[in-house]
Amino acid sequence: MLSFLYARQSGLDDPVRLRRAESTRRVLSLELNHNRDVDRIHGNGINTLDIEAIDGRYMLSGGSDGVIVIYDLENNSKKPQYTCKAICTVGRSSRHVHKFSVETVQWYPHDTGMFVSSSFDKTLKVWDTETLKPAEEFQFDGNVYCHHMSPIARKHSLVAVGTKDPKVQLCDLKSGSRIHILQGHRGEILSVRWSPRYEHILATASTDSRVRVWDVRRALGSLFTLDQHNGDKSKASSEAVNTAHNGRVNGLCFTADGLHLLTTGTDDRMRLWNSATGENTLVNYGKVVNESRKGLKFTVSRGCSPEFVFVPCGSSVAVYGLHSGELITMLRGHYNNVDCCEFHPDYQELYSGGKDCNVLAWVPVLRQPDIEDDETNSKRGGAQAAINPAFVDAWSSDED
Amino acid sequence: MSRKRALIADTFCLTKRRRCAADSVTADGAADIRSSLQYLMTLFSRKLFNDSLPPVVLKHQLYSLHNDKTSVDKQVNELRENGDLLMFQLGFDSEAFALVFAEDYRTKVLQGEAGRETLGTVEKFLAKLIPGCSDLSFNKEKMLKEFLFTDPAITQLVKSGVLTVRDAGSWWLSIPNSGKFIKYFIKGRKAVLGMVKKSKYGEILKTELEGHHTTSQVKFQMKYHIHEIMGAELVESIQTTSGTLLRYVDGNVN
Repeated sequence: MLSFLYARQSGLDDPVRLRRAESTRRVLSLELNHNRDVDRIHGNGINTLDIEAIDGRYMLSGGSDGVIVIYDLENNSKKPQYTCKAICTVGRSSRHVHKFSVETVQWYPHDTGMFVSSSFDKTLKVWDTETLKPAEEFQFDGNVYCHHMSPIARKHSLVAVGTKDPKVQLCDLKSGSRIHILQGHRGEILSVRWSPRYEHILATASTDSRVRVWDVRRALGSLFTLDQHNGDKSKASSEAVNTAHNGRVNGLCFTADGLHLLTTGTDDRMRLWNSATGENTLVNYGKVVNESRKGLKFTVSRGCSPEFVFVPCGSSVAVYGLHSGELITMLRGHYNNVDCCEFHPDYQELYSGGKDCNVLAWVPVLRQPDIEDDETNSKRGGAQAAINPAFVDAWSSDED
Repeated sequence: MSRKRALIADTFCLTKRRRCAADSVTADGAADIRSSLQYLMTLFSRKLFNDSLPPVVLKHQLYSLHNDKTSVDKQVNELRENGDLLMFQLGFDSEAFALVFAEDYRTKVLQGEAGRETLGTVEKFLAKLIPGCSDLSFNKEKMLKEFLFTDPAITQLVKSGVLTVRDAGSWWLSIPNSGKFIKYFIKGRKAVLGMVKKSKYGEILKTELEGHHTTSQVKFQMKYHIHEIMGAELVESIQTTSGTLLRYVDGNVN
């Protein structure tokens, strides 16, 4: 660490290198900390989490009871022990609350004045954060599994919605219309994601085992379908030709630079694709347990040197190296299935929510301060011993 | 003070890396895979099939011996490109691939064909297959145009067991007489998994399982099956101070 600081100071190294090394170290030391807690409001499982992109201060969560909660993540008290308070909720008593479970919530990408939520009651609601009333409501024919708004869009404000219908619907927030549809899938759409690199590129995943990448400006159809065998037709059985997975594809995530796309499927596999060509990079993550009947929300770290993927696997969150495919660690702490996880890029923290109604905050372990002077410590009269921990007698027993 | 050993990023281990860089060179990575393959082939029981099958290894058995699955895949593909190794789709699981050394395959197939009238066609097919082609399945066009086989010749190949039907007009490459192998393999795998499941707490030390006496269901060597279930992640392998512990994973479809 000191060598990194010195190299940056003397100009040997790029400033980004120190930042990346420290972010990586922090992500590798993620663990549950009794100092950080999130208010427990939900009475039923938590399906989705979203942290706003501008400040990283407010977090939205949507639950199976239809309740939506907004938390403040910033620690303004001077103490290390902090509970992320829920600032406001759209609870069961509100007139406009969703009737069934909320599947996806997302902040409006440009400010926190608005957020969009979609639910199994077949509606997509656009809420005003100030009044907590829906400014717009879109009705659909089938359960809405997921929706996504492009985080970088300047020229359009389309919300892509994946429902039980094989057609992907695009709702325009500026005009309120939803006539734009994307046809091509043959099964329910379980996950949709806009690319963080190009504002017109959209990826959709469906129960027909296919993942399609679209350019919404193009009228004809999808740009390409992801093929797990990279066109080598000899490997697949004849029904499985041109599919991304051997089962339902239920999770999609772009990496932060938008160059790669990760997909997870119910064949217990996760695959990494080159998002420009659609080529399977053949990184082998092993068995990524996936039994989710609806979409799985997973996330990729940002700003670290080997990037990490955080995937909910049963009741723990698995951390894999993005390009190496090795399982780094499993974050255990939830009592029941984990449904969603969200990475906070500025503080390298991970928030995960699951069926046990808890949102857990995984915080990097800080370096312990070194014990320098004996006198200053004894003056403070603190609980810290002034002896070097290597000399502390931790093995002999009093009974001998 | 935390008792857990913390994960350290590679970037922070610079000095250690420089010192032992000379030891762990990955240039002989390919040789590693080849030696692991040869070791696994020795675990295959030849006498069971009266020596009519070449030694068969499953690709995921290699995952239990090496940590980095992606590099294992890459090296296996390299060996296939060179024509040293052949890969087959076994049919009972879309992810289970069987690997056989090309020379072994050739000798066994020709040995099985000796004296039959299909010998000539099979020889011709093997000559086309072994140096160049690394496909798992063939469709009609390819057989007729590239390989210049006629329809009756294709029928002879299917009869001899080198090709099995995949769907109308396309065939998988297969190992002749492998039906018995697959049957014993599935039964044995089920029996070994049952042994792990029935043990106390659903977990058993690997060395203990190897020493377990095999039931009549298990025809192969225990080690062969153990490598297979570890590599396919049908059991969770946990490193303990007394060795590797295998824990049964719920939710297996078996």
